[in-house]
Amino acid sequence: MSESKGQPSPPASLRDFQDWMLGALVRPEGASGPELDVRVHPPARVRLGTYQRSYIARLGKCLAGQFPALCHALGPELFDDFAREYLRAHPSTSHSLYALGRRFPAWLEAQRPDRDAAAAQREAWIDFMVDLADYEWRLFELFDGPGPEREREREPTADCPDAELALQPHLVLAEHRFPVAWYYHEVRAGRRPSVPRREPSASVLLRRDYATSTFPVTALHLRFLTCVRERGSVNAGLVGLAEVLGRPLAEIEAAWAAQREGVRRPWIEAGFFTRARPRTRR
Amino acid sequence: MQDAPSLGHHLGLGVGLRNVHFDHILREWPAVDWFEAISENFMDSGGRPGYVLAQIAERYPVVLHGVSMSIGSCDPLDRDYLRRLRALAEGVGARWVSDHVCWTGVGGVNSHDLLPLPLTEEVLAYVAERVRVVQDILGRPLVLENPSTYLRLRASTLREPEFLAALVAETGCRLLLDVNNVFVSCFNAGEDPRSYLDAFPFEAVVQLHLAGHQRGPEHIVDTHDQPVSEGVWELFRLAWQRTGGASTLLEWDGEVPAFERVHAELLRAREFMAGELDHGRLDAALRRGPSAAAEGLSTPVDFLVPSVMGRSELAAEAL
Ligand SMILES: [Fe+2]
Repeated sequence: MSESKGQPSPPASLRDFQDWMLGALVRPEGASGPELDVRVHPPARVRLGTYQRSYIARLGKCLAGQFPALCHALGPELFDDFAREYLRAHPSTSHSLYALGRRFPAWLEAQRPDRDAAAAQREAWIDFMVDLADYEWRLFELFDGPGPEREREREPTADCPDAELALQPHLVLAEHRFPVAWYYHEVRAGRRPSVPRREPSASVLLRRDYATSTFPVTALHLRFLTCVRERGSVNAGLVGLAEVLGRPLAEIEAAWAAQREGVRRPWIEAGFFTRARPRTRR
Repeated sequence: MQDAPSLGHHLGLGVGLRNVHFDHILREWPAVDWFEAISENFMDSGGRPGYVLAQIAERYPVVLHGVSMSIGSCDPLDRDYLRRLRALAEGVGARWVSDHVCWTGVGGVNSHDLLPLPLTEEVLAYVAERVRVVQDILGRPLVLENPSTYLRLRASTLREPEFLAALVAETGCRLLLDVNNVFVSCFNAGEDPRSYLDAFPFEAVVQLHLAGHQRGPEHIVDTHDQPVSEGVWELFRLAWQRTGGASTLLEWDGEVPAFERVHAELLRAREFMAGELDHGRLDAALRRGPSAAAEGLSTPVDFLVPSVMGRSELAAEAL
């Protein structure tokens, strides 16, 4: 590996020790007694326990900070159990703790006991947990990832022509099987929501001035915004939507024109769009 | 690297930058001498943490303190990480960049804890070589901190102060002396912290750390969630005088109180800058029996993730 080229090679005894100690943290039940005596002064077992407890508690707390609504939904004890299992399956491999939850939603989905059942037969509350985790992770990524704040001068005004309106590149378009954004913000407001009924939700997640907002939209609007993203502008997105729906373009354009004040303007004002860079060729 | 210019290490009294204090700092611009930021919390940030640090760096001296360099690990040094660290340091005009004499993981896994190294000549030579690689990439001397430890390894043949002095002599690196960690590690190892400090290479120290700890049933845990203890203040008195007033920073990570409370605790340092070490007070602190309190969480790092929830809203259904 080029990364290790020109780097000093470690003493063998150090590698043995580190493999052993990390193993004792990640898989505490495997840390054997005799080995302990060889490596550390007594009463080392107690003190190794300090590292072991702190390891799992610290990372579990971090995960709970990344998934506060899921933690509320599961209750702290069950959440901790999941966190423990997850960390065993996916110990951190990043220099940053902020990456810890990246694989958590997919891991929850992979762990579900009913994963082999047909979609309709699966437990609704597990679907909810998976969707809520997905929503929380997307929000976390949006919060600390690259954002639109340095491109304020490209924010369009309502009079910007459709051909020049492109989707703001950091916008997240999300679909879930439950109203997860509603649930999340109920938790935020300090209320104690119960698990909602299954109800498909489409939403736009947006960051502005380093704060995130979730805009509930209709499924059709979400499809449209997806077309705008794929095709590069609102104009081209209308063409795309007409194709996807198998409807005449004129009909789609008329529907969009009718939403000029009710949808188009608020979307622009909310920050859904950016002014497309002028095309230099063709 | 050995004749690096002075790191300008008299910054005064600083506070560890924590997510929960961002709003307060941006609103009040408190009269703090300087801030220390956890490198890993900002080096990849495209969001508010990075923005806040940039604002702070325009008004205060900033120092970067890392927790994932893993200078003592058997894994190769992560050059990409080091390049990002350098870019962040240059971006915020960091006065210096520090990390810990420890390892945090191996085989690609990061425990996010500061784990103890066997202190031997062999390990010293290995770590020294890695410090040189790091200093080359960062283009500046590295500053290394003594961690708090809960295990004494049979393999160790050197005392920690000796190990650090040799590391300084071989690499020209500088030191961050955490007096709370000295108290915690010495207490846990049954060693006298005065004897530890007598052997410490103070001439290489650019920074001091202060923090609170918690007494468990059998030993002390470096929890960073309490006021600084009386014994630690006494050690600070010694360290402050022997370093000629090195930049001093208070770390508070668990149950972080309001900024004013943290700042007030930091300013207590002024009471302990002059005068003789009160041996009676230190001895009493060292003798104080174990507490029945449940064992705290060792918190060597600011592990709390930013509150995304606190800055998130649900827009009206009308759209
Ligand atoms: Fe420290």
